[in-house]
Amino acid sequence: MLMVMVWIAPTIAFPGDAPVTPITTSPVQSLGPQRIGNLPPVPVPPDNPQTSAKILLGKKLYFDTRLSKDNTISCATCHDPALGWSDAGPTSAGINNQLGGRRSPPVSNSAYNLLQFWDGRSPSLEEQAKGPIENPIEMGNTHTAMIQSVNGVPGYQEEFKRVFGSSPITVDQVAQAIAAFERTVVTTDSPFDRFVRGDQAALTPLEAKGLEVFNGKGHCAACHWGGLLSDGRFHNLGVAPIDPAKPDHGRYEVTKNPGDMGAFKTPTVRDADLRAPYLHNGSEKRLEDVVRLYDRGGGSDDANLDPMMVPLGLSNGEIEALVAFMKRAMTSVNPEVINVKPIPKSELPE
Amino acid sequence: MKTIGYVLVILAGLMTAAPNDAGAIPAFARKHGVNCNMCHTAFTKLNDFGQRVRDNGYQMPGQEGREMNVFQIAPPVSMRTSTGMLASHTGKQTTSSFALNGLDLLAAGVLHKNISFLLIYTPRLDEPAADYSGNADGANPGQPGALESANIVFSNVVRDALNVRVGRFEPAYHAFSSKRSYYLRQGYEIYAFTTPSNQFVFDDNQLGIEATGHFRNGFKYGAGLVNGNGANPDINNAKDVYVNLFQTIGRGDGQNAGQRLGAFAYYGWQPTRDIGAFVGDGGETDGKGNTGFYRVGGDVSLNWKTFNVKAFFMYGQDDQKLNPLDSSDYVFRGGFARVDWAGLWNNRLVVSGMYNWVRPPCYDDDRPPMDVTSALVRYYLGDWTAVNVALHLEYSYRDIGGIHPESGHALAALVDFDF
Repeated sequence: MLMVMVWIAPTIAFPGDAPVTPITTSPVQSLGPQRIGNLPPVPVPPDNPQTSAKILLGKKLYFDTRLSKDNTISCATCHDPALGWSDAGPTSAGINNQLGGRRSPPVSNSAYNLLQFWDGRSPSLEEQAKGPIENPIEMGNTHTAMIQSVNGVPGYQEEFKRVFGSSPITVDQVAQAIAAFERTVVTTDSPFDRFVRGDQAALTPLEAKGLEVFNGKGHCAACHWGGLLSDGRFHNLGVAPIDPAKPDHGRYEVTKNPGDMGAFKTPTVRDADLRAPYLHNGSEKRLEDVVRLYDRGGGSDDANLDPMMVPLGLSNGEIEALVAFMKRAMTSVNPEVINVKPIPKSELPE
Repeated sequence: MKTIGYVLVILAGLMTAAPNDAGAIPAFARKHGVNCNMCHTAFTKLNDFGQRVRDNGYQMPGQEGREMNVFQIAPPVSMRTSTGMLASHTGKQTTSSFALNGLDLLAAGVLHKNISFLLIYTPRLDEPAADYSGNADGANPGQPGALESANIVFSNVVRDALNVRVGRFEPAYHAFSSKRSYYLRQGYEIYAFTTPSNQFVFDDNQLGIEATGHFRNGFKYGAGLVNGNGANPDINNAKDVYVNLFQTIGRGDGQNAGQRLGAFAYYGWQPTRDIGAFVGDGGETDGKGNTGFYRVGGDVSLNWKTFNVKAFFMYGQDDQKLNPLDSSDYVFRGGFARVDWAGLWNNRLVVSGMYNWVRPPCYDDDRPPMDVTSALVRYYLGDWTAVNVALHLEYSYRDIGGIHPESGHALAALVDFDF
């Protein structure tokens, strides 16, 4: 199990709160829920340190459609910076317009995920980056063919040699460069973040009420906790498949544990407003729809419903406040993230 | 003279109706950095999520072993008290007093995956609360020192089907916990009713061992083996047994969602002579002439939007050997019905009405039939992390029947807080 040492978010200054001494370090996956708060520094694996040259190289690869079989699909096709680092959904279209069965998870803040993909089948960003290249309905390529393509670009040969000091280019190097870039896509400057840092005026009164519901009656913080506002674990919300003939078993496909049937990873709430529609299959169009699903105690496919799912009894006003909190208050304005523009083909290595 | 005695009894009941202990455990909210409403409809009443956490040994359901344990958090200690004004009127007597409602010290947490504990200690309070109960002779503390709860829970011994609690605990047959009731002054009368020669009190925490289980289809059970005389060592070397069954229909646990039906049966033994003649390591074990008694009943909890309606009925029978008043078995019945509404923003306002009734046998002059109608309004100043303050206004009208009927009013205006 990947154990990441994280710093626990500082105390949120709710009115009347007694100061609580924060715990400085703790292994994340064994310890939760934790108080929601700011994101800690990005965890970086020792075997893939961040360098500016590697990050820039990864950015170029991220926007380069030559990684796909027919040069039409790049990482950014389904993880578009302009769409909250996801896509328009409800599920993603890959090579030859083939539709996948799941919503494109956001790249933003994915560096904090303990496991990647909705079903957690990948333990790191590096491993995740390799997956879609070979997926027949995403990039439709093979690693061998992709490496041949990249090695055939002199500009890439030069940059990879400068970054990694070796040649020829390998699949691992491609993955490491993309992961290095993705670790820079971190959103830390939302009104909520400023509120946590002490700016009491950062939230509107309605958003502040929404935070109260988020942390209490709405039960959101039972799973959406910590700096990422995600426990990184897997839960069955009772979400019915779009096509009943094609049920998606989620985490079960990885673990074969019946308890994981229909369970999917908790997504972060950060920047959620930029990423409609919602849930693993994009079946809920608006944040309000998601909240109402929880308010009902989950969806109709409840044979393995998570025991934490119970009806909430939220009023319309509480739902409105909760949605307000998750919209503007959780939307970051980090310029280095929201202003990322696709790299034009003309500027990619030749 | 007997009328005066009745008045005193009623006054004592109105003024000192056993304040409910325990309630919320803010240490859990502190541990997880969440607000009280995560687990409480409004403290102290558990919501469905909180009930499941409690059923799961204070662990989030499905997250066992992946939470901070008691050694990784701030000391898991909480405190609760309430203070304010009590007033009552019976016949020609009116009293009023500023009062403290005691103090609870609570500690609870997870020691290890699927092993958790709960300690509730109520310290003896002589001042300033002396003589709040009983005769004004200085011998009655406002709160006796007691280890109200001290138990360890082994959860998920067989998945959700078997959880084991050992020690002194609130038994599962308390379909509606008096410890987590909104009412601070008016308890559940039938829970507190005692018969002439039986030390068993339904409302008492019990000392023993209990098995519980909960299932995805909404079924729950509880079964226990206990001393049977509350929190005391055994007096007769014969253990009492009980079983209770619940079925929830729909999602939720019947707390504020889903509809719940329940039934319970308790069978106990009491000595008829030589109580306390010998005190051994296991308690007062040579009570002789043991004879049986039982309590059976049912309950229902119905939810609609933000309304919760609950009702409880109990039928009790003590063997005639435990009945010094008559040559027949001592038979009584009673119950309560209650409706709660939690509304305004984030359940900040709670309004509740309750009706209690107890019907002892007509020949028992010391235990006349009783009807108590109560209402309360609680307003929570905020829903904050691990601290809560509620303004509490509670009224009760107590109507005593029997050969000397009497009635009385009681009002409590309190500030209830825990952290």
